[in-house]
Amino acid sequence: MNIGKTLFFAGAMASFFILNSCGDSSENAQVQKEGGKKIDKELLDPNRSFNTTFDGKLFSVPSPVQTALLIKSLSIPFNETLLNEKENINNYSTTTSQAINLGIYGADLGYIKLYEQNAKSLSYLSIVEEISNKLGIAGAFDKTFIERFERNSNVEDSMLVILTDGFRKADNFLKENDQKNTSALILTGGWLESMYFATQLYKQSKDDKILARIGEQKQSLETIIELLEKCNSKGQNDEYISLFNDIKQSFKGIKTTYEYVAPETNKDLKLTTLKSKMNIEISNELADEIIEKIANTRAKIVS
Amino acid sequence: MKKGIILGLIFTVLSVFNTKAQDCDSIYRVVESYLITSDDGRAFVSDGQVYTAFLDNEKAEFNTTLYGNTVYRIATSAGTKDDYAIFTIKDMEDNILFTNKEQSNSQYWDFKVESSIPVKVQTELDTNKKITGCVVMMIGFLK
Repeated sequence: MNIGKTLFFAGAMASFFILNSCGDSSENAQVQKEGGKKIDKELLDPNRSFNTTFDGKLFSVPSPVQTALLIKSLSIPFNETLLNEKENINNYSTTTSQAINLGIYGADLGYIKLYEQNAKSLSYLSIVEEISNKLGIAGAFDKTFIERFERNSNVEDSMLVILTDGFRKADNFLKENDQKNTSALILTGGWLESMYFATQLYKQSKDDKILARIGEQKQSLETIIELLEKCNSKGQNDEYISLFNDIKQSFKGIKTTYEYVAPETNKDLKLTTLKSKMNIEISNELADEIIEKIANTRAKIVS
Repeated sequence: MKKGIILGLIFTVLSVFNTKAQDCDSIYRVVESYLITSDDGRAFVSDGQVYTAFLDNEKAEFNTTLYGNTVYRIATSAGTKDDYAIFTIKDMEDNILFTNKEQSNSQYWDFKVESSIPVKVQTELDTNKKITGCVVMMIGFLK
């Protein structure tokens, strides 16, 4: 055996041992480190490329499905004109426009499913599938997903779980494969569409619960902007950042007050009741301003 | 000879990369099971996001809003067999609303939220058990 082959064999053997030590999470795989702490061998020398944080910071945006649920609970009828038109899919030629509109179509699909518009849901599902293919995340909405979706199309609860599982798988795939900007844009699109539903339906109903939900988005809007900025190394999000910063200017006018109330915990039920309160005040003029800005931003993004 | 060295190194690096991906992936599946299988058969709807971080004697945190009249489940794990992960929920005035440290590092906990509030969620490893590694967290809510 020549030296090259010997080294290759040695490298292969070394990787074999690394594979085995990393894959073993049993007690036997623990080692003693200085200070007496036991550490899993598998987690020594972690590969930093899997770190989905930015300087220890993670990002979270509430699910658009939650706002759709609020709208449905208020007995507001289904409004088809709120949906992004299916034909618009042909306008999205860049990765950024595809990703942000995948979030928009995903929120549309959640809204459609909540109102049991089953015929429509299949056509919007095919759009989600098509954009996912273009973005290389088809695995999240694969054959198994489609089969589960169709099999449970009359069970609303199962449908929501299946749909959000699909988006969670996509999110996990994108973060593991260092495509954080695509993940960020999908979240942004979902948030914008849920805000579009809320603002347009508030315009019609003047329901205080919807207005409160709009005011509760102050934190999420800040998260969206911070996330887009962190993912903007090549300036690809400049236009979106500018649009959302303009909305943020209006959100600064929302007045909030917070009152801390001690939570109560029931250990047997593994349940804690959070009793703190936040009050939100939005003037009619400010509400109109936010409604207009959300509609304009959404129109620019879906066109 | 050089070819052998390069091939050996590439094989080694790819193997390590693949193993770490599998490690995070196995933890992801553990956390996923806490949302799917509830004690009383309820299914939590995911918020569509996976919060993953490699921690080394540090904390990761995020801000979010918990909506009123909603029951949430927050689930976390840093290993397939033990309660390695700690998570803490604070309000924006830094009052601790919950920490699983006081509940034997329970892998999941439910929260009934009376009024919508912005919160800060922090996660870290229990350094008595593990000082470095992958932590995965997920949030679900009841419809």
